[in-house]
Amino acid sequence: MNATYIRVEFARHLRDGYNLVFSLLMPSAMYVLFGNIPSYTDQELGFGNVKFYVMVSMAAYGAAVSTVAIAGTVATETMQGWGRQVALTRMPPATFVSSKMIVATTVAAISSALVFALGAATGAQVSENWIWAASYLITIGGSLIFACYGIGVGMVFKSESALGLAGGLMVFFAFFGNVFMPLEDMMLDIARFTPMYGYVALIRYLQLREVAPETGFAPDPLWVPVTNLVLWAVIFAVFAVVATRKARARQ
Amino acid sequence: MQTLTKADAVTLQGLGKTFSAGGTRVEAVRDLNLVIPTGQIVALLGPNGAGKTTTVDMILGLTPPTSGTARVLGLDPHRAVKSGRVSAVMQTGGLLRDMTVRETITVIASMHRMPERVEAVMQRTGLDAIGKRRVGKCSGGEQQRIKFALALLPDPDVLILDEPTAGMDVRARRDFWQTMRAEATEGRTIIFATHYLEEAQNFAERTVLMAHGQVVADGATEQLRQMISGRKVVATLPTAASIDRALNGAGQVRLEERNGLRTTFRCQDSDAFARLLLTECGAYDLEITAPSLEEAFIHLTQDAS
Repeated sequence: MNATYIRVEFARHLRDGYNLVFSLLMPSAMYVLFGNIPSYTDQELGFGNVKFYVMVSMAAYGAAVSTVAIAGTVATETMQGWGRQVALTRMPPATFVSSKMIVATTVAAISSALVFALGAATGAQVSENWIWAASYLITIGGSLIFACYGIGVGMVFKSESALGLAGGLMVFFAFFGNVFMPLEDMMLDIARFTPMYGYVALIRYLQLREVAPETGFAPDPLWVPVTNLVLWAVIFAVFAVVATRKARARQ
Repeated sequence: MQTLTKADAVTLQGLGKTFSAGGTRVEAVRDLNLVIPTGQIVALLGPNGAGKTTTVDMILGLTPPTSGTARVLGLDPHRAVKSGRVSAVMQTGGLLRDMTVRETITVIASMHRMPERVEAVMQRTGLDAIGKRRVGKCSGGEQQRIKFALALLPDPDVLILDEPTAGMDVRARRDFWQTMRAEATEGRTIIFATHYLEEAQNFAERTVLMAHGQVVADGATEQLRQMISGRKVVATLPTAASIDRALNGAGQVRLEERNGLRTTFRCQDSDAFARLLLTECGAYDLEITAPSLEEAFIHLTQDAS
């Protein structure tokens, strides 16, 4: 842990207007747009209403995208020689990565806290209060697997534009992970194998766990999202480690 | 156990590094042996591609050698770096453009666990005036100064500088060496890689000449300077006999090359020799040039083999 480094990292991200907008404000804006369509968002759904469902979806998307963006800078900074500079200090290289993880998680936490606060203010509801806390914690914890993905892509392509690509792919993962709009039939079958599916389905499971199958909103059995999340966590972690090793060897 | 006070600053034994990329193998450094005692100021002089940066990387433990060993203050390079006893100004990169100058120095100081040195180092390197500026907005010279400040943070016993004045204009270069002189005190060992002969001359007591990954010459800088000082005088002479007359008429003149009557001489006192050529030997089309470092290298590598 290096508090000074983490403090300066925050200052950098706050100065970077682009990051600020995309990490912190876009998920909130998306919730305001899609979570407040009067025709259906006040309808009941599972243990809460549709607003809550949209809220956790947007919060999860925002958390994942911001960890990708921030963790990915580990790679671009390493390539700019900052890694060498850090290597000449007492700080172990692992602390460099873990400091970034802390920053990424904190930004994800703030971004989703904003969405949750907006949700609470505009009538997102669940009947059991612990679902609020549990959804929030899974949102933040689960977003860490996307940090590994960001590091991996950055290390393979070694450029700022690679991070743009990584972020762009996240939109694709989100659509194909059943995050933005409900998928059906074959599309849904494929979606179960994509990286964002398990993460978001697990968060939604808390609200939807007793929904009847005829409504079309019934969740998969719990093992499906859990398996998806664990497998993708392993895949991205291995990807990050292998990509880092290869990048180091080429230096 | 070797006692730390007695250990040399840097000991390189049979050091070698081979890079292999896409099937081709490049020997960047070959069987390098070098001992630098503590307190010495040494220039690693050589043209681009001589293996200076690779050598520096191995001294700092950033690149593992393919063969041989590098020791710093009797320690493994990693341990010497982690103890803050050796630090370096590296040639490329190493700074983040969107950090301010003060942030950069504060962050690296915290990584060395020496936050109390920030103010002193910023003052000594003249960075306190531009502390709030973003690194990306600093000139090349200012960025080099930031890197220099970072290297001073751990108060190292051994300071290594890889092309420290790259990208500086003449004035910034002069200022830099002035600051450097102030830091070269209290038995601090300084090793700098450069391709400016002048910098080696003005600052180093000892110069190690490198070419093709090997040490070509190693000695007191003054000695080396004399070896490669001399001037090249090229002139066309009217007859072969006048060439002999020119060679006999002056001391310390060597015939280097003859192409018809166009003749290349090497001499110490080029003014006197030129006067002799023009007034007594009937020479014309006279040119006088100081040897470039590259020429000196060719010269020395030929002498060595």
